[in-house]
Amino acid sequence: MLKTIIIKELQNNLYSLRFHISFLLCIVIFVVGTIAFLKNQDAKMQEYSKYRAEFKNQLRQTAESNASRLAANERAFIWRPRANAFISDCKENYFPNRFNYSAYNVFGFEVGRGGTNPFLNTFQELNWSFIVSVVLSFTVLLFTFDTISGEKETGALALVLSNSIPRATVLLGKYISAIITTMVMAVFGIVLSILIVIFSRKVDFTFTTLIETLGFLLIIFLFVSCMAAIGTLSSVIAHKSNISLLLSLTFWLVFVVIVPNTAIFWANKVFSIEHADTIGRKINTADQELRRNAPAGSDTSSSGFPFLPEHKLRAELTMKRMNSEMAIRNSYFQDMFRQLERTRLVSLISPIALFDYMNEAVVGGGYARFKKIWTDLHGYQVQFLQFFKTIDAADPDSPHWYNPWEDLSTTKKAVAFEQVPVFEEKPLSFAERFSFLRNYLVVMIFYIAAVFSLTFVSFLGYDVR
Amino acid sequence: MIWKIARKEFLLNLVSARFIIGFLLCLFLIPFTVTVNIDDYDSRMRVYRVDKANAENSFKYVRVYSYLRPEVVKPPEPLSIFCQGISGNVGSRVKIWLGEKPLFATGKAAIRDNPLLNSFFSIDFVGIIAIVMSLLALIFTYDACTREKEEGTLKLQLSNSLSRHKILLGKVLGVYLTILPIVLFCYILSTILILHSPNISFSAGEWGRIILLFFASLLYFTVFIFIGLLISTRLKSSITSIIVCLFFWVFFVFIVPNLAVYMAESWKKVQSYDNLQYVLQDLGKEFNSKCDEYVKTLEAPDWGMNMFHEPGRRDGARIMSGSSKSMLELWRKLYEFSEPLRIDYADKKWNLQKAYLDSLDQQRNFAEMISLISPSEVFRLISASLCCTDVASHCRFMDRTRRYRDEFIDFLRDRKIFSSFLYITPQPPETFMTADEIIRIRTGGECKNLKELNEWMDAHDGSWKIIRKVQIPGTHYNEYPFLNLSDVPVFRWQSENIFAGLKQVFIKVAALILISIFLFYLSFLSFLRYDVR
Repeated sequence: MLKTIIIKELQNNLYSLRFHISFLLCIVIFVVGTIAFLKNQDAKMQEYSKYRAEFKNQLRQTAESNASRLAANERAFIWRPRANAFISDCKENYFPNRFNYSAYNVFGFEVGRGGTNPFLNTFQELNWSFIVSVVLSFTVLLFTFDTISGEKETGALALVLSNSIPRATVLLGKYISAIITTMVMAVFGIVLSILIVIFSRKVDFTFTTLIETLGFLLIIFLFVSCMAAIGTLSSVIAHKSNISLLLSLTFWLVFVVIVPNTAIFWANKVFSIEHADTIGRKINTADQELRRNAPAGSDTSSSGFPFLPEHKLRAELTMKRMNSEMAIRNSYFQDMFRQLERTRLVSLISPIALFDYMNEAVVGGGYARFKKIWTDLHGYQVQFLQFFKTIDAADPDSPHWYNPWEDLSTTKKAVAFEQVPVFEEKPLSFAERFSFLRNYLVVMIFYIAAVFSLTFVSFLGYDVR
Repeated sequence: MIWKIARKEFLLNLVSARFIIGFLLCLFLIPFTVTVNIDDYDSRMRVYRVDKANAENSFKYVRVYSYLRPEVVKPPEPLSIFCQGISGNVGSRVKIWLGEKPLFATGKAAIRDNPLLNSFFSIDFVGIIAIVMSLLALIFTYDACTREKEEGTLKLQLSNSLSRHKILLGKVLGVYLTILPIVLFCYILSTILILHSPNISFSAGEWGRIILLFFASLLYFTVFIFIGLLISTRLKSSITSIIVCLFFWVFFVFIVPNLAVYMAESWKKVQSYDNLQYVLQDLGKEFNSKCDEYVKTLEAPDWGMNMFHEPGRRDGARIMSGSSKSMLELWRKLYEFSEPLRIDYADKKWNLQKAYLDSLDQQRNFAEMISLISPSEVFRLISASLCCTDVASHCRFMDRTRRYRDEFIDFLRDRKIFSSFLYITPQPPETFMTADEIIRIRTGGECKNLKELNEWMDAHDGSWKIIRKVQIPGTHYNEYPFLNLSDVPVFRWQSENIFAGLKQVFIKVAALILISIFLFYLSFLSFLRYDVR
């Protein structure tokens, strides 16, 4: 009987105007979005390659002139445009994508200017994630808002339930058919998009991308199930289809528009952190204290004979000042991470936000990528410093007094660029992605179960007359 | 008769669930959004006060002109509570450098504390109006004709001597009367919240702009009323009508805005800012090598020691004192050459930066052209112009900062400050000494001249402790007073007057009016042929 209901509902859905319009809209956006992505990606990769080539060129020039400047010069690592961003961009245009470091420390991160045009409004790229979170979420609500209330109004529901058919079967049949209808659109659009990507030859569609696509299909399935449950709940709560439509629209507005777009407010009000100027003052105070208490001669000028004892004092003081500043900053960075993570927790009330965070894990982008780069860059910095210390130890003309801001008391010899470790980003492994995804999966499954259970309990008492 | 039909429609709508839900939605969303934006404005005001104090301090506590680099700090736009425009994307601080013209403002307040929060978007009052009012307009008009056709009341009405145009106008007026109180309520509620906020005060010009914004909102939902009406007059079933209306709503309000910007990004390429910086760095290196070449042509100083010396981080800032007369003279001559050259190089850099800005603007124009398909985007553009948070307002501000830079440079040139010792040292020229004099005094007579000092240093592993044996009072730059900068031109901040940017607004308002008239005309034609059976 369940199969019969599913087939009947599917036929109703697939022949309906709402399916035709939403299918057409989906396909058009999938195609336009993919073509636009390929053009965009092409341009971005050209600019990035140019940037990276110049970066390495400057690194080479510095390495082949002075190893200490190689170690002490502050550099920026900017992450590359992701090849699988046609699945989801994870708002990486707006994320901090610039990491400042030297051999001595990783100093911080910032939102680089290169990401977006400041004269344009903030926007979402037309990738698969946008289509699912805006168009398909809306579509599935349009399929489910009158699934119960509409049939009650026409009298069909009373006729169906006058037979010996359990209410659970009717509800489940309608629910599953709404999910299948929406998944048909998603799969069709995704296949079309993949074909465009493959035939364009501008982006490699690898085995990893295939796994990511399958993972993305899984989370679409969960997301669509969640939205279908919400739509069905609206249909069961309201006894008239126009009211259930309004309820569904209200839910959609709150989940798609309100909750994600008010997260900053919650971040600053509920999970506030110290202001940046307060941290600046703390750093200055600690710095002045260190300088005041430093041994006499620590603040002498840097010119002169490298083995001058004052240079050792200054190197030690400078190292202490850097460590003091970075201790305060690293604690502040942890506060920032906590603030973001807690704000995301609050926004999990919206299935759209939940879907976005799950996307990050599947495609290896967004905050998951940021954390990986942050961690890996710290590991690289330690390795880079060790490399420099090895070069320095081999130079008998160096006093080996490490100063993070100067090149006076460490080796100024050249080093072959080919020997220099250069930081390259490693993509997240599947294990890392799954560990990021795990908690969100649990929340999503719980969400679906809770909403569907509520729908089911409400439907058991639903007056079908 | 039109008024009777309008009254009937209004009373029916008033007791309907859609009115109650729509009203409750606004009752919840508007105060919440306005509160969020007032809070955001308060944060930006706090940041502004901190930045302004820092800018004033750096202006006050300066001992040499090479460290004098004014900073312009823009207060947050009060009307950004209603429409953020691009004010959330751009910073509010502009430092005036000699070596570069101001390109962008820095110090984006929203991400000052935590850059990770930049990935969260925010919504403003105009955004809520654009989304909710358009939805309400469609919800109230999608069944203007189809519901009465399904109920059979339309044919009963038209079986009387009642012309179709009166019915149509009556329905339009009825919907207008229904939605107008909701819009008015939203604006009054926002006004009350703003008046209760202690840190915000609007000028008369700003209140004028809010009234204009209200009328723009009325025009905006009028467009959607006619869209809903047109769809209702073309279809026979209410359920089909609402589905079509909702798809149009999603298309205009959510898809077109993102589509326009994404297509602009894809089709109109812009050079990467980081690559532009590399090119500018090359110009910087060229400038530095010219300065190095010039130094080689100058007479070498008697002693290469910079006694008290702190090079600044940027733009040639340098403060020194206590060095020998010939050393100070060398630096003075260098700066007399380098600073005008630095300004020339700023002009060269500006050619590249302007090309970059122009490409950003072209991309924006392209996005704007495509977004004109959507009435909600036209409304947002009108709102941003009225609230002075659009690109044109930002460009006007940046132009003013560039003009201020020119004034500042003229001030320095007219007073021949680049040729003055005061550019790099607060030490009065009459206190300058030769190297031998300095060495004799500082070593307490132990070394009489530079030759003896060098011999002593060679014998003591290069140590120069002997130079610190005796201090010469009045030679450290911290012992000198700060400069009197009362005659330095200061940037005067002025709010935009009510007429700024209105020309652009008129064009877009006229476009909305024309679209409304056209849509109503199409609805009217459709309704004349509408089968009421």
